[in-house]
Amino acid sequence: MENSNSYSPYSSSSVDSTKPSPSESSVNLSLSLTFPSTSSQRETSQDWPPIKPRLRDTLKSLRLRQRGYNTALFVKVYMEGVPIGRKLDLSTFSGYKSLLENLSHMFDTSVISGGTRDRKHHVLTYQDKDGDWMMVGDIPWDMFLETVRRLKITRPERC
Amino acid sequence: MDRAIKLQLSTSEMNYFPDEVIEHIFDFIPSHRDRNSISLVSKSWHKIERYSRHQVFIGNCYAISPERLIRRFPCLRSLTLKGKPHFADFNLVPHEWGGFLHPWIDALSKARVGLEELRLKRMVVSDESLELLSRSFVGFKSLVLVSCDGFTTDGLASIAANCRHLRELDLQENEIDDHRGQWLNCFPDSSTTLVSLNFACLKGETNLSALERLVARSPNLKSLKVNRAVPLDALTRLMSCAPQLVDLGVGCYENEAEPESFEKLMAAIKKCTLLRSLSGFSEVAPVCLTAFYPICENLTSLNLSYAAEIQGNHLIEFVQFCKRLQLLWILDSIGDKGLEIVASSCKELQELRVFPSDPHDEEDNNTAVTEIGLVAISAGCPKLHSILYFCKQMTNAALITVAKNCPNFIRFRLCILEPNKPDHITSQSLDEGFGAIVQACKGLRRLSVSGLLTDKVFLYIGMYAEQLEMLSIAFAGDTDKGMLYVLNGCKKLRKLEIRDSPFGNAALLADVGKYETMRSLWMSSCEVTLGGCKRLARNAPWLNVEIINENENGRMERNEEDEREKVDRLYLYRTVVGTRKDAPPCVTIL
Repeated sequence: MENSNSYSPYSSSSVDSTKPSPSESSVNLSLSLTFPSTSSQRETSQDWPPIKPRLRDTLKSLRLRQRGYNTALFVKVYMEGVPIGRKLDLSTFSGYKSLLENLSHMFDTSVISGGTRDRKHHVLTYQDKDGDWMMVGDIPWDMFLETVRRLKITRPERC
Repeated sequence: MDRAIKLQLSTSEMNYFPDEVIEHIFDFIPSHRDRNSISLVSKSWHKIERYSRHQVFIGNCYAISPERLIRRFPCLRSLTLKGKPHFADFNLVPHEWGGFLHPWIDALSKARVGLEELRLKRMVVSDESLELLSRSFVGFKSLVLVSCDGFTTDGLASIAANCRHLRELDLQENEIDDHRGQWLNCFPDSSTTLVSLNFACLKGETNLSALERLVARSPNLKSLKVNRAVPLDALTRLMSCAPQLVDLGVGCYENEAEPESFEKLMAAIKKCTLLRSLSGFSEVAPVCLTAFYPICENLTSLNLSYAAEIQGNHLIEFVQFCKRLQLLWILDSIGDKGLEIVASSCKELQELRVFPSDPHDEEDNNTAVTEIGLVAISAGCPKLHSILYFCKQMTNAALITVAKNCPNFIRFRLCILEPNKPDHITSQSLDEGFGAIVQACKGLRRLSVSGLLTDKVFLYIGMYAEQLEMLSIAFAGDTDKGMLYVLNGCKKLRKLEIRDSPFGNAALLADVGKYETMRSLWMSSCEVTLGGCKRLARNAPWLNVEIINENENGRMERNEEDEREKVDRLYLYRTVVGTRKDAPPCVTIL
């Protein structure tokens, strides 16, 4: 969900480069990279405005609660080939890393996101609010939470 | 020695006194800067000062090694260490960058230093280090961790179990893995020495009965800050057995407090007549704030910056009765109207911080603060000397008025949420406004600028900000001249941090010697290139010049580097111990 009516000055290691930039620019917006899904940095790596993580998290969970998420965000998770699915509360994860760790544990296999596909690991995909199936890990975690409807762990060759 | 006791006797006369007398005189000079000056007077003073120094402050843990520290100050009792650069607070520094505590504890332990106090900021602390700490220093009294990470509640358990004389355990804004263990249970029954306990940043469950027992057997407990997991009735019980509390951090309440529990809470609060400082209140229903009305007139410090659920009108209702307030940290939901009321009620106010409740402008709300609130505060609070103000808009006229009203600012930090935003009435840059601030506030030590700014603001800063020690710049300036004005003008500058501004090699390399007078320089998303940084490193071997790369997966290959490549993040600092050995792959030290 993009805020198209407001400036979002993410620099360097954050968001995709389709965010609107300010009209006057003595600003040097360095290369905006696709959010790396295996980044060891904090997953919600927003660096502006300069507020500390604890305040950032407090305001974020308030926002989620106000939008009616009731803080909990349950989605269905299916493993391809397994008819019975699971349900997972995405709000308990701090980001992609903890989500993947948890799924790997839950399904007793190695689950990864888009980055390195090597035909050995299961790949995590999700259905977004438009109904399309996408690779997990391309967009910032917060955006992902707002758009994800269900998850599917696919067989490696499929992607 | 500006602020030291002016010793009437000359050095040669003083040397007729035995060392113990001179040492006794030095005891009256606690400031580490003054003691640094004393140690330069003569060889004998250097020696006496060394052995009598008990408190040491190290602003950059990589500027010196633990071994050298211990060699010089063998009688060390209290150590302050800072690790990662300031912008690490805003996700600009990789987690594994450095700032590891372990080598320090290891060295102090091996040298059997009688360590009693340790204060850390932005360091990586492990459970192993905490365990070693707890076992190595018999007289250990005080542990303060601010914005640290790398440890879990298991580490806290070691501290609780082994530090028999622990007086203070203060955890502020740390990332602690909560193993939901029983660390509070690890304080032995014989432990009764606690004066200060702050675990507000812990995310997990808290063993309430262990906490209550601990508080009940700590008659000297003055400061208690609990985490979200301590509900209303538990808080009531805690306050009932600790009416001597001076400083309280409140946890998370249920949404609707039952009238009976509320009554009990109010009764307990009324008994806390010594309570002066209040904080916490995340996920709290507004009615719970009103339970504190009985003591609000006594409060000198109030931190409601996490109270995101309490709306503006409730905040105002409470704050207007806190007539003795000296420190107020609050969210901008209080609004300009609220700040006007603060200005008329809180005449003792010295420090104000207003944080953004909607940092990414996602709500359509008009209650955030503007220049109006800032001007009102400056007009109403004559003792104000420190401000951090997040707002959506500002004008030069307002800043000029603020400068006239408050020439006593020591710290002035203004953050306009939208980068490059001009004066919203005249559409001009805010150079004149900030210029007025630095010209009027002759004692200004810390400054953060924002909004639309040209090189001119830096000309003003260089000209007028004579006492400036720390400057933060984001999305500002036009050319290298801007940065040069600052480097040439601000003689007392110690820390300079710049992001997203068009300063490049010419500014970086103009006066390499300047960096020896400073603690550190940070530049990210600026115009400096790899070639420029390499040249700097060659000309200044006393500096560590670190390049922090985007790509965390590998060091830069020497022969693949393009010297014209812009450096994403540069961090340089003076050091007497050369290149550090613990840098991760994403950091290249030139």
